[in-house]
Amino acid sequence: MRSETKNGRRGVRAGTLLALVVMCLGAWIMVYPYLYAIGGSLKTRAEFSADKESLVPARLRPQRLFAHFTGQEDAEFQRQYKEWPLQRNYVDAIVYGGIGQFLCNSFLYALIITGAGLFFNVLAAYAFARMTFPGRDLLFGMLLSTMMIPSVVTLIPQFLVIQHLGLVDHPLGVMLPGFASAFGIFLLRQFFLNIPGDLESAALLDGCSKWGILWRIVVPLSKPAIITLGLFTFMGAWNAFEWPLVVLSNEDLYPLTVGLALFRDQNGQDWPRVLAASVMGSVPLIALFYAAQRFLIGGISLSGMKAQ
Amino acid sequence: MKARSAASRRQDWSAYLYIGPAFGLALLFSFFSMGVSFWTSLHDWDPFAGGGRFVGLDNYRRVLFGTDSVFWIALRNTTLYVGMSLVGMLVTALPLALLCRKARYLQGVFRTLYFLPSITPGVVVALIFYQLYGIWGQLLDNSATALGAIALMGVWSGAGYNMLLFLAGLNEIPNDFYEAARIDGARPMDEFRHITIPMLRNTLVFVMVMTIIGAYQVFASVYVMTQGGPEQSTQVLAFDIFMNAFSMAGQMGYASAAAWLLFLVISVFVVIQMRLLRSRRIYDE
Repeated sequence: MRSETKNGRRGVRAGTLLALVVMCLGAWIMVYPYLYAIGGSLKTRAEFSADKESLVPARLRPQRLFAHFTGQEDAEFQRQYKEWPLQRNYVDAIVYGGIGQFLCNSFLYALIITGAGLFFNVLAAYAFARMTFPGRDLLFGMLLSTMMIPSVVTLIPQFLVIQHLGLVDHPLGVMLPGFASAFGIFLLRQFFLNIPGDLESAALLDGCSKWGILWRIVVPLSKPAIITLGLFTFMGAWNAFEWPLVVLSNEDLYPLTVGLALFRDQNGQDWPRVLAASVMGSVPLIALFYAAQRFLIGGISLSGMKAQ
Repeated sequence: MKARSAASRRQDWSAYLYIGPAFGLALLFSFFSMGVSFWTSLHDWDPFAGGGRFVGLDNYRRVLFGTDSVFWIALRNTTLYVGMSLVGMLVTALPLALLCRKARYLQGVFRTLYFLPSITPGVVVALIFYQLYGIWGQLLDNSATALGAIALMGVWSGAGYNMLLFLAGLNEIPNDFYEAARIDGARPMDEFRHITIPMLRNTLVFVMVMTIIGAYQVFASVYVMTQGGPEQSTQVLAFDIFMNAFSMAGQMGYASAAAWLLFLVISVFVVIQMRLLRSRRIYDE
């Protein structure tokens, strides 16, 4: 009996070890493209066209670094350092590639979509959760069913509607469809329903209006849900590609995603610069996500609990 | 529910003001847009010249039987892509979730790293893989490998997110089930087949349906990496619709018809998704 449990334990340990090894391999596969992009963005143009494969640019390899800091490197290398400092591809992408403008546009679009979207969705969710009006359940059902319509069918008519409103090639045309989200209203309504009504009744007795109750009681109590939805909205807006590509033709208005595709076409021979632009395009979202991770995890478990 | 106060039972007409903006926009860009799309598909429509001639179902005929139509090639490619994405997702996400639980250590690190592609713009991912595939033997220049390469990238992007969904599903299986099975002498394979899979059924179907619906609409990666080539091997429906609608003059009616046909294909899976959501009681509180 005892030896059996021992064997069993050893089996478990071996299994854990094997799982760890496989997961680490997987993690390497997940991270490799990012390391490749960062490495490539730090190479000089000449170096990249000669050596596309390696992860670490020549000047960051240990023996080179050692030579650099002990002042033993050859003149040719020193010249390269001078001519093509590490940050050069990044600076070039911003100065000559317009990446700075694209980043600003993306920030503005994502911020405004998130702000306006949260405002309108909170209003609607509150009415669906706390007010009684004719046709409420029917309208809510209609709203939910819009979630099932795949975007490929609505892309063309969405463009026609925006065109009819005279908003083609206008920032508002990019943002307007993002101002309402059936999913967002659904998520917020679920959260509002779980807030005990006593507080609101008390406030109502004290003469607080519904509007006041919403902004002074319900919204502050719903911070986790609102932050989660805000993050998801921001991410969606930042990553959007097909819609801005369709609506915009003025390059000055491009968000980063569309700008990057254009940038690649214009800088096809200069991949270190394209990779630098790509890195700059993904860093803001990754940083935002990890800064807000604890909210997101709370939000996922909250919405996940309701979905089961 | 039962203990509603009299105040909240009264009809509240101001509610329409609250739901107005969001509801109006949501409807404008969904059902109303679908109507516009259907109307467009019945016309010879050119948004830049304006106006359009009613042509009945002629656009649908051209999509399905026209000599210059790539619809069937695109449908075949898209379905192939969906199949590869589905298989790729199943052989990565679920095993990864099981392994992640089994690994015990570093789980937080794994979750974080595997989730990275989900928060990276698709265009960035496509640009990086464009370079990588160039190094690994010109995978995108070969009509035999291009579509598979794009699908592989899709699997890479989605594996971490789906792994998290499976992990959430696995965490909800009561441990008692496994303990009871172990007492009865079940082998790990039996546990997987008779406990894990049945208990994970909802998550499994959800992830599969979402993968299918998403994959049928693949666009950005094709647009950035291959533009439908080489030799139309990555010509997919969403890309064909986009090109007809926005890069060629006077083809908007044709593109709308193609979009509706794609919608018919997808709607099968949308119905499954709806049933699933209903069964999860998403409609009530």
